[in-house]
Amino acid sequence: MARGFQGAVLRGFGARDHDATVVETLRLAPNLVRVRLHSATLFSEIVVEPTAWLRFWFPDPGGTDTEFQRAYTISEHDAPTRRFAIDVVLHEPAGPASQWAVEVQSGATVSVTSLGSDRFALPEELPAGYLLVGDSASTPAINAILDVVPADLPVELYLELHEEADRQLPLTPHPRLRVHWVPRGDGRELAAAIETRDWSDWHAWAAPESTTLKHVRARLRDEFGFPKTEVHARAYWIQGRSMGKLRDDTNDPAGKPAAVPKPVKPKEKAAGAWRSQAAGRLLAPLRRTLVAAGVGQALVTLLQLAPFVLLVELARLLVAGAQPARLWTVGGWALGLLGAGAVLGSALLLWLHVVDARFERDLRVRLLDKLARVPLGWFTGRGSGSVTKLVRDDTLSLHYLVTHAVPDAVGAVVAPVAVLVYLFAVDWRLALVLFVPVLVHLVTMAVMVVRSGQKIGQAHRWAERMSGEAAAYLEGQPVIRVFGGAAASTFRRDLDEYVGFLAAWQRPFTGMKTVMDLVTRPMTFLWLIAAAGTPLVVSGAMPALDLLPFLLLGTTFGARLLGIGYGMGGIRDGVQAARHLSVALGERELAVRESPPEDSPPGRVEFAGVTFGYRPNTPVVRDIDLTLEPGTVTALVGPSGSGKSTLAALLARFHDVDAGTIRVGGHDVASLTADELYALVGFVFQDAQVVHGTVRDNIALAVPDATLPEVMAAAQAAQLHQRILRMPAGYDTVLDGGTGLSGGERQRLTIARAILADAPVLILDEATAFADPESEYQVQRALSTLARDRTVLVVAHRLTTITGADRIVVLDDGRIAETGTHEQLLAANGRYHRLWESRAAAPTEGALR
Amino acid sequence: MIRTYLRLIPADRRGRVVAYTVLTVVSVLLRAAGAVLLVPLVGALFGATPGDAFGWLGALTGVTVAGWAVDAVTARIGFDLGFAVLDTVQRDLAARLTRVRLTWFTSDNTATARQAVAATGPDLVGLVVNLLTPLFGAVLAPAAIAVALLFVSPVLGLAALAGVPLLLGALWAAGRVARTADEAAARANNALTERIVEFARTQQALRAARRVAATRSSAGAALAVQHSATLRLVLMQIPGQLLFSVVSQVALIGLAGTTALLAVDGTLPAAEAVALIVVIARYLEPITTLGELAPALGSIRATVENIRAVLDAPVVGSGTTPRAAATAPRIELDGVSFAHGEDDPVLENLTLRLEPGTTTAIVGPSGAGKSTVLALIAGLHQPVRGRVLVDGVDAATLDAGARQALTSVVFQHPYLFDGTVRDNVLAGHPSAGEHEYATALRLARVDEITARLPEGDRTVTGEAGTALSGGERQRVSIARALLKPAPVLLIDEATSALDTENETAVVQAIADDPVARTRVIVAHRLTSIAHADRVLFLDGGRVVEDGTPARLRDAGGRFAEFWRQQQEAATWHVTA
Repeated sequence: MARGFQGAVLRGFGARDHDATVVETLRLAPNLVRVRLHSATLFSEIVVEPTAWLRFWFPDPGGTDTEFQRAYTISEHDAPTRRFAIDVVLHEPAGPASQWAVEVQSGATVSVTSLGSDRFALPEELPAGYLLVGDSASTPAINAILDVVPADLPVELYLELHEEADRQLPLTPHPRLRVHWVPRGDGRELAAAIETRDWSDWHAWAAPESTTLKHVRARLRDEFGFPKTEVHARAYWIQGRSMGKLRDDTNDPAGKPAAVPKPVKPKEKAAGAWRSQAAGRLLAPLRRTLVAAGVGQALVTLLQLAPFVLLVELARLLVAGAQPARLWTVGGWALGLLGAGAVLGSALLLWLHVVDARFERDLRVRLLDKLARVPLGWFTGRGSGSVTKLVRDDTLSLHYLVTHAVPDAVGAVVAPVAVLVYLFAVDWRLALVLFVPVLVHLVTMAVMVVRSGQKIGQAHRWAERMSGEAAAYLEGQPVIRVFGGAAASTFRRDLDEYVGFLAAWQRPFTGMKTVMDLVTRPMTFLWLIAAAGTPLVVSGAMPALDLLPFLLLGTTFGARLLGIGYGMGGIRDGVQAARHLSVALGERELAVRESPPEDSPPGRVEFAGVTFGYRPNTPVVRDIDLTLEPGTVTALVGPSGSGKSTLAALLARFHDVDAGTIRVGGHDVASLTADELYALVGFVFQDAQVVHGTVRDNIALAVPDATLPEVMAAAQAAQLHQRILRMPAGYDTVLDGGTGLSGGERQRLTIARAILADAPVLILDEATAFADPESEYQVQRALSTLARDRTVLVVAHRLTTITGADRIVVLDDGRIAETGTHEQLLAANGRYHRLWESRAAAPTEGALR
Repeated sequence: MIRTYLRLIPADRRGRVVAYTVLTVVSVLLRAAGAVLLVPLVGALFGATPGDAFGWLGALTGVTVAGWAVDAVTARIGFDLGFAVLDTVQRDLAARLTRVRLTWFTSDNTATARQAVAATGPDLVGLVVNLLTPLFGAVLAPAAIAVALLFVSPVLGLAALAGVPLLLGALWAAGRVARTADEAAARANNALTERIVEFARTQQALRAARRVAATRSSAGAALAVQHSATLRLVLMQIPGQLLFSVVSQVALIGLAGTTALLAVDGTLPAAEAVALIVVIARYLEPITTLGELAPALGSIRATVENIRAVLDAPVVGSGTTPRAAATAPRIELDGVSFAHGEDDPVLENLTLRLEPGTTTAIVGPSGAGKSTVLALIAGLHQPVRGRVLVDGVDAATLDAGARQALTSVVFQHPYLFDGTVRDNVLAGHPSAGEHEYATALRLARVDEITARLPEGDRTVTGEAGTALSGGERQRVSIARALLKPAPVLLIDEATSALDTENETAVVQAIADDPVARTRVIVAHRLTSIAHADRVLFLDGGRVVEDGTPARLRDAGGRFAEFWRQQQEAATWHVTA
């Protein structure tokens, strides 16, 4: 079968053909046929991921034995039954694929290759929305994307209309999808139709016709400011190719950017700002320093190469029989350059560290400022691990970027380039020969990468997964030991599978890896130089002396050149870290709004029309109107997810409300500074936070100038005094992160703190009382003291503890369903009554046998 | 590092290590020969009869091709060893971890073990080929070249020989200085980071206490201290970064200078001197390569260290005494002491006897050693002193199978592995019949849960465990424990009391368990205690009260106080 050059190239990359049998064809729309196929072998090679496509070899409609390669997105797949489907758009005049799809009968076979392909994956940090651009040819891929984009992310879909029938193409429904059809003219219409707006933090995925893509790309980049990393662009077909529409991605400009059209003069700048560009913003003040450091490092690298040039000079003098004095001069130069290199290198290093130290200090100061100003919900939302990563690992990566990564990268690039220039200057013929092993290396590498295909990504995911499973395996050791092998079998099985995957992937490459290693060895280069150089010298085509630079510097040329990629790794990590930090520094802070206070008693809390959600358009509490009178206890009750914890967190201003106001003593909480607010509102939550310092410091955290008797009184009220006296240094015992205190003791410490702080409004998480049954009784007594004579809002988990509340507020799906006292609500026979009944009979008393 | 790696190679591949070593030496000798062949080759090119060079080129070609052949075979063996290690190492480590003493699993060791068991394979595959081979080459090749040089020019040869330890020493010293400096920098950085992390971690407390600004300045002070320390540290780092590069350049200049001097005073012909300069460059090259490998060596060393840590971790031994009877045994602790670390005693000389078929509740404040007693009976911990006796037989002398079959445990934190509810319950007794399985589900009231789930007992519990609540997971773990036909049942009651329904389930399940067992329960709830035949009140690792629940409650001691407080706690409610 004739497959021409493409077929040969694919085979060279190790592409394997699979036979697929047509199961059935289905008209999904007037101009769309779904072809369902079955392949016995395909699924052993691929894992289908969103937007994945396959290469098909279709017969020539003209009847010759030539086969045409076309790529189609997988629209359905089911690995166990080994079935999959593609959607083929029909058009006139029909191309080979189109014609095949119309005429093909069940049972016909077609060859499929899985090489290449795409994978659409949601990033860890979701974009603000997805801008999708395509046409009938890319709808299967677009459907796959719509399938995985979370329901709360907006999606703007621009589709090029080729014929009215296109409108009937099936699209996967998505709650926030907006579809725009744009009729095609000369390929500029779609780009022009994209709404002019702020696209900040959006991700663009574009797969239209080639010309259209060119214009779309230009507009996204020039007018909206989309960074390259936030645009996935691939032309799915090219207008005007021989057989009408031709979907053929080996001809497409994927990878290399489409020919740049003349820059569109941006009429109105709608350019947005992307998180992915954040690294640049953070590092902007360092740009000049880094450029200067790069220049300095280039100089140092050249100085390190200088001795070899001097060796050539030395050899020249020796052969010429020069005077010893001349030789001494060369020796002097060598030592001088060595000294200069060392001094310059040290100075560069020192300077960069000084610059970095200053930059890092400023960065940390900014980070501290930011940490003190972001909403408290920011912390609860991400957990201590990611904050630690930000503060420790990311600043460290950044340090590496500034002090080492840039010089390393510059060194890695300058050294081979300098050697290359020098050697070409000496003799270009011999210099060209040096590229032979490098080429062999690169081609072998490319073959390996292409053959690895999806496995590279899979290996990453395997590694992550195994790390998580290993942690669980270690955590489960006691269980595994008691219950034996069965409890450990999942982990062992996955481990075997992982090892099997690695071996199956890597084993076939050992030969290629050996070749790559051998061809770039110095010994190989040495032989190559000798073998090519000797005839040149003997024939008189090259002076013998010119061979020396090659023998001295040419042998490690390959290793140096290939080291360029390696030297860039540190930069990537550093830029990623800079991006995280910059995004964190750009977090929204709690703003203090102007709002006139109303006349109200100091302890009264009023919620008026409060609505809030963690994500836009998905409120967790809605339209809450509620007043808490001074000296009363109000309990929030409801199933998990009803919004009771969120409502309490809003009063403590962990988040800002989306609508409505919360007033404390007549002041809108948003109009108060943090210090003013927390003088009015105190809280005791499950997370008992102990700061580094003495017991006394910890209790007197809010009132640093409290006297010892005052501190002791608070401790006594919190049932903690006796315990403190038993500590090594009593009230002066240093608590480091609260080690040495039980959970209940830490709770009581925070209660003592709240007692001393004496805020008129108190928010309690009732689960607090039950974190540690050993001292549950004492925690409860401490809470009783604390709650006295305040406005108390309790988030209740156990109904028995709040039966005495002045008012019980039953929340359901973010709304107030009922309010009243325990007795009133029971009598009302509503939701609360059901909650009360559904709880299991709590064993309030242990009956002895 | 190499020794540890050799331990990882499966026994049937050991012979290949010898072949690998021999071939590596041969490869190095061929490389040295190639370098030295340059002397006549270059000499001829610079001499009067350049045509002679072709003969030497032929020789060089022969040596090079032979070198490729040997290296290809060496690489094949190296990869073969690497894949053999990949096949076995993680699996062996996973198996070994189940025998390592639980006290070894500190948070640091756990992190190490996790790395070792999850992520070492890929690194180890290429270790031989990518690191060992160049490492051997770097050490052996310069020495071999220096020896060969002795025959060409004794002075130069001697100088080159002397240079080998000098250069390797410089490389080692540079690495060491750099490591010391890095460690110092990391320490300073960690101290500061901890302050900032704490500042972030305690934001709630700090803001509620209106101390954000004040603490900011104290964290700011820590920043200033760090800033001046950093500058000192930089001065430490510079020598490490430059030492090796300077020494190797000095060596190059020195050796080239010597050659030049020898040529000037007529000892060496000029053409030969030029050739020797080229050989000197060859001589230095492998060592420089080694310098570039240093970071990779560092990371692979860490990998191998992790593995060694697991291999060297203390393991639990087992005896050979079988134990047949599945009847409820008498359990005795005979003068048992236990400590987690050196001076962190949990139990001190504890002696107690649990009669066959009884249920004992252990009560006491946190840190009293209650869970430790269970772990000792379960064989999860081993006494530092004293013995655990099962029907009078020292549990340490039981064979591994008998020891494991002896106890079933309900843990405080229910750990379910990734699998279906059914798999998890059956882990307790994989060969259990359908009737026994159904009974266990019913007793632990797991049947109520599975009835609600669309996929019933085939529901995957999953790592995130979204399908089941915490209390439900606890009940699955109770079913698992009840299904295991062990004559001793140990229950560490959950302290969290958010789910009262669950609490009742535990008590009922244990009361209705039809299997004859000796039971011990670490109890926090009055209901569970009330069901016990006997209560032990533990404090500070000693039994302070012992008796039936009713008697102790009326005795007016520690247990009576505990009882009263628990009753009050159960009826407490919030009021202003």
